[in-house]
Amino acid sequence: MALAILVVAGVVVLTFVIARVVPGDPAVSWAGPHASRAEIARVRHELGLDRPLPVQIGRYFVGVLDGNWGTSIHTHRPVLSDLMDRAPASIELVTVALVLSLVLGVPLGLVSAKWSGKAVDGVIRVGAVLGVSMPAFWLALILQLVFFQRLHLLPVAGQYDPNLDYTHPLTQYTRMVLVDALVTGNWSVLRSAAAHVVLPALVIASYPLGVITRMVRASVLDSVGEDHVRMVRALGFPERSVFGRFALKLALNPVIAVVALVFAYSLANTFLVEAIFDWPGLGSYAADSISSLDTPAIVGVTLFVAVVYVLANLVVDLLQAWLDPRIALR
Amino acid sequence: MIEHALAPRSPSRLARLAAVLRRNPLLTAGAVLSLLIVLAALLAPLVAPYPADASVATHPTQTLLPPSSLHPFGTDQLGRDILTRVLYGARISPLIAVLVLVIACAVGIPLGIAAGYFGGVVDDVLMRITDVFLAFPALLLALAFAAVLSPSIGNTTLAIALTWWPWYTRLVRGQAASVAGRQYVEAARALGVPHRRILLRHILPNSITPLIVQVSLDVSAVILTASALSFLGLGAQDPTPDWGLMVSQGQSYFTTQWWLVTFPGAAILLTAVAFNLLGDGLRDVLDPRRVPTR
Amino acid sequence: MFALHGSRRIAAVAIVLGVLAVACHGTSTAKNTPSAGAQATFTYDVTSQVMIGWDPATGYSNEIIAMNNMYEQLTRYDSTTQQVKPLLATSWQSSSDGLTWTFTLRSGVTFHTGRTMTSEDVKASIDRTIKLNGGAAYIWGPVKSIDAPSPDTVVFHLKYPAPLDLIASADYAAYIYDTKAAGGEDLAKWFEQGHEAGTGPYELDQWSKGQEIELRLKAFPDYWGGWSGPHYTRYVFRVTPQPTTAAQLLRSGQVSMVERMTPQLWQTFQNQPGFTTTDDPSWQTLLAMLNTSYGPLADERVRQAVASAIDYQGMISALHGGAEQISGFVPPGLWGHFDDLPNPTYDPQRAQQLLAQAGYGPGGKPMTLTLTYVQGDADEQLVASLMKSDLAKLNVTVDVRPLAWPAQWAKAKSSNPADRQDILLFYWWPDYADPYSWFINLFHTESKPYFNLCYYSNPQLDHMIDAVESQAATDRQKAIATYKQMQELLLRAAPALSLYTQVYQKAMLSSVKGFVENPAYPNVVFAYDLTPG
Repeated sequence: MALAILVVAGVVVLTFVIARVVPGDPAVSWAGPHASRAEIARVRHELGLDRPLPVQIGRYFVGVLDGNWGTSIHTHRPVLSDLMDRAPASIELVTVALVLSLVLGVPLGLVSAKWSGKAVDGVIRVGAVLGVSMPAFWLALILQLVFFQRLHLLPVAGQYDPNLDYTHPLTQYTRMVLVDALVTGNWSVLRSAAAHVVLPALVIASYPLGVITRMVRASVLDSVGEDHVRMVRALGFPERSVFGRFALKLALNPVIAVVALVFAYSLANTFLVEAIFDWPGLGSYAADSISSLDTPAIVGVTLFVAVVYVLANLVVDLLQAWLDPRIALR
Repeated sequence: MIEHALAPRSPSRLARLAAVLRRNPLLTAGAVLSLLIVLAALLAPLVAPYPADASVATHPTQTLLPPSSLHPFGTDQLGRDILTRVLYGARISPLIAVLVLVIACAVGIPLGIAAGYFGGVVDDVLMRITDVFLAFPALLLALAFAAVLSPSIGNTTLAIALTWWPWYTRLVRGQAASVAGRQYVEAARALGVPHRRILLRHILPNSITPLIVQVSLDVSAVILTASALSFLGLGAQDPTPDWGLMVSQGQSYFTTQWWLVTFPGAAILLTAVAFNLLGDGLRDVLDPRRVPTR
Repeated sequence: MFALHGSRRIAAVAIVLGVLAVACHGTSTAKNTPSAGAQATFTYDVTSQVMIGWDPATGYSNEIIAMNNMYEQLTRYDSTTQQVKPLLATSWQSSSDGLTWTFTLRSGVTFHTGRTMTSEDVKASIDRTIKLNGGAAYIWGPVKSIDAPSPDTVVFHLKYPAPLDLIASADYAAYIYDTKAAGGEDLAKWFEQGHEAGTGPYELDQWSKGQEIELRLKAFPDYWGGWSGPHYTRYVFRVTPQPTTAAQLLRSGQVSMVERMTPQLWQTFQNQPGFTTTDDPSWQTLLAMLNTSYGPLADERVRQAVASAIDYQGMISALHGGAEQISGFVPPGLWGHFDDLPNPTYDPQRAQQLLAQAGYGPGGKPMTLTLTYVQGDADEQLVASLMKSDLAKLNVTVDVRPLAWPAQWAKAKSSNPADRQDILLFYWWPDYADPYSWFINLFHTESKPYFNLCYYSNPQLDHMIDAVESQAATDRQKAIATYKQMQELLLRAAPALSLYTQVYQKAMLSSVKGFVENPAYPNVVFAYDLTPG
C-alpha cells in the first residue's frame, strides 16, 4: 500500500516537471489574450508561478493532502471540484461500455468456444479481431455518420437533450444522469440519456468486447481440458453446465483483470470519443486542459488517473485471490 | 523461418507450415494482408498515381473532389489525391511500430532480466520505477515531447516507446525469475560462472519467448496509439501522409465529404487487423503448450 | 405535476410569472411589458464557452457576444451607414480643437438593478474601466478627465484630439454599468460570481457554467426601447464545439442561428426552404507577419519575393467562400480602405528573380523559414500548408509549427531574437470602428515586441501613425490620405502580408427576420433588433 502511494507520488512529480517544461505562459492563459503586461505580471504572482520549481511542487503536495488540488487556469475553479464534476459522466460512460462488452462478450466467447472450428466461431473471431483493431476515433465518426446523419436514428452528441433541463429538470444525486433519472423516475431524461449514451458506449466497448470475447474463448478452451472439468463431465453433468458453471468461473478470472484495468485506462483515454460526442466527462476536460496549457488541471487529471489505476490494480489483485485461491496474496 | 521452411532439406517444417495455414484461414488472411501492406509501402512510388501529392504539392483549385476515375479516393482539402497518400501512409505506420517495439525491447528486456535474475533490492527498485511509468498516461508524455521538441513522428515514437517498455519489463521479469530459480542456473552460480555469461547464455534466451508473441500482437496496438496521437496533432505533421493525421484533418468535412475520413481510417483498421491475425497465428505456431485455437 | 409539454409549459410558467410580476409591480411606470402570450425564444448556437469573464470593464473575450445584449454603450456603429448612431447618448459634439467632447444622455434609462442612469453613473463606469486598465481599456487613452456637470450631460476632456464618438461605440471596454450594483461589496468579485448590471434589452435569467445550454437571458421589462411589436423575449446561448452538431440542431429547428460552421456545411443550407443564409465580409483579416529584424526575411527583397510567391487566388478558392481577397490592410466597409493599392500578386517568376538577387532560390542557397500559427485553427492550417507548398517550388523550406496562442505569442516575444519565428500567422480585428487599430498595434516601433510581431521599425511610418488619430478627429480628409500613404509604404516594404478578409457565413431559420451582420461587433447578434417570424 505504501508502495502504491510512492508510485502515485512519482507520477505526480514527473507530471509537474513536464507540465512546467512545456513552453507557453500559463499566466497569459489565465489573464486572457489581450491582457496588459501589468495584469499578466500580477496574475503570475497570484498563481505562485514566480516561485522556484521545488517550492511549487512542495506547496502542491501539501495542498493535495489538504484537499486543495490547485485552481484551474481555464475554469478559474478548484481542480478537485472540476474533477468531481466531470468524473461521474466518464464513470457512467465507461461503466455502460464495460457492461455492454461483458454482456455481449462473455456469451459470444462461450458460443465461440463451444462451436470452435465452425463457421459461427469464425465469424465471431473475425468480429473480435475487428473490435481489437478498430481505431476508436474513426469508429466514432463512422457511427455518427451512419446512425445520425444517414439513418436519423440516434442523436449526434451530448449527454441528453439540454432542453429537458427546463422542462423536466433532473435532481442530481450521484451526478450520473442515467442513475439519477432512474432513481427519481424522470423517464424523459432517462430515455434521452439512454439514446445519447448508445453510440459513445459502443465505440468505447469495441476494444474490451474484442478482448473479452477472445479471452473467454481461449480460457474456456484451455480449462475444458483441465482435470476437474473432465471429472465433472465424467460425473455426468450436462454439457451446458460444464460450460456454464464450471468453465465459466475459471474463465472469468482473467476477464476480471481485464475489466478493472480497462476501466482505469478508459477513464482518461476516452478523450477522443468524448471530444467527438461532446460528452462532458474527464476525457474532454483533459483534452481542454492540454490545449489551454492548464497546468494545475493537467496535473490534477494525471493524479486522478494514477490513483484510479493503482486502486484498480489493488482491486484486481484482491478479486483474483478471492476467485482463485491458488493465487496467494503477496 | 520461411527460407528454412522452403529448403528441401526440411520437408516436415514446410508441411507443418502449410498445414497450419490451411487449418487457419484467419492466419492466412492476416499474413496475406500484412504482405500486401508491406508491398504497398515498398512499391508506393511506383504504384501511386500522383506521387508528388504525398509530399509538399498542393492543388488549391481541385480541393474536396469526390471519388472519380481520376481520383479513385477523391481529393482532400488541399487538392491532394487521397489514394496516393493512403498508399504512402503504409510506409509510416508500420515503421513507427517497428521503431517503438525495438526501443521498448531494448529498454525493457535488460531491465526485466536484471530484476528477475538479481531479485531483492534491485528487483524492488526496478519494479517501482516500472510501476510509475505504467501508471503514466502516454498522452501526457507525448504532449510534453511535442511541446518541448515540436511535434513530429520521431518524438511520438519516443513518447510511445517510453510508456511501452514497462509491459515488457514485467513480462520478462517473471520469466527471468523462474529461469533463475532453476537448478542448473544455481549450479552455474555455485561454480563461479560470471553473471554476464549466465545472463546472456541462459536467462536471456529462455525469457523472451512470451515476448515474441506479445510483440507481434503489439504491432497493431502501437499503430492504433500512434494514429490516435497523430489525430490529436501530436505526431506527424502536414504534409506527411500519416493516416491518423488524415482522419484528423478530414474530421470537420466528414458529413459533407465523407471520403476524407473513410479511406485513411479503413487503412488503419485493415493494418491493425492484419497484424493482429498474424500475431494470433504466430502465437499458435510458436507456443506448443497452448491448446491450438482450432 | 401537470403533464404539459415543452413550450406550453414554458408559456404557462411565464404567464403565471407575468401576472405575478404585474401584480407586484404596483403603479410604477410600466413601459410596454412584453406580452406574455407572445413568447419567442432566440437560440444562438456558438462554438465555445460564452462567459469567460463577467466584468464589463475588462471583458475582452467571447463574453462580448452576450454582453452586447445585456449592456449598452454611449453610441453604436451602424455598418450600413458607416456612421456612429445614438444609443445611451442622444447627441454629442466636440469643440473646434477636438479636445472637449460633450454627450447628451438619453433620459428614462434604467439599470437592471433598478436604479436610473445618470451622468454620474456614466462617469463612474468609464472611470472605473480606465482605472482597472484591463482588457481593451487602452482605447480611453486620449481621455484626461470626465465631468458630469448635469444629470444628463457628460463632458470628456482629452489630452489630444481623438474620435471619441467612435471610441465610445467600441465592442469592448465601453459599456455603461451600475457601479453601485454590489452595494458595499467588491464590485469585481460581485461580477465574477455571475452577475450583471447593464441597461440593455436583455437581462440575466440563468447561467449554467460549462453546460451546453450555458446562458439564458430574458427580456428586461423596463428597457427604454420598449417592447411594442414582435420581439424575442428570451435569448438562449447554446455551446456546441462540433460544427456537425450545430448544423444538425439548426436543421431540426432546435436552434435559431448558428454562429459558425464550415463552408461545406453552410452550403447545405443555402437556398433551402425554411432557412436563410448570410455571408458578409468581416473586419477580421489574416496576416502573415514577416520577421524584419532577424533571419533571411530581414532583407526587403526576400520579403517581396515571398509576397510574389503566394497564390492568393488559390488560397481563396481552397477556402470555399470562407475568405475574400483584400486590398491593403484595411478591410472593405471601413473607411481607410482603398481598392487601388499596389497589392502583391502571384508572380513566381518575379519571386525567383528577387530571390536570385539575394542569393537564394532554385540554384541558390537553400532557405529555411519557421512559420507559426494557432493550433486548432483549420483555416490557418490550410494557409500554412499552401504557403509551404508555394515556397517549396523556390527552394525555400517552410517549417510549420502549430502552437497554442500563449506559446505562439511567447515565442514571438522571446528576448533572444534567434528563438523567434520567421513568419507568424494570426488574425487582427479592430476594437472599435477605426483603421487605426492595425497601424498602432501592428506596425509602430516597439522597444519590446507586443503585437508588432514583424518587429518593424520605420520612423517615417511612426510619425504618420502618431499623427493620424488626431487627424481623424479634426480633418477626416487628411486622415484618409494618410491611411493611403501608410498602406502604400507597407505594401512596398512588405513587413507583413495581408492575406485575406474572413467572410462570416451564418445560417438561420427563415423565421428569424431582420438580421444584419455588423462587422464592428463580430458574431454579436442583437436579438432586440430581430423580428421573430
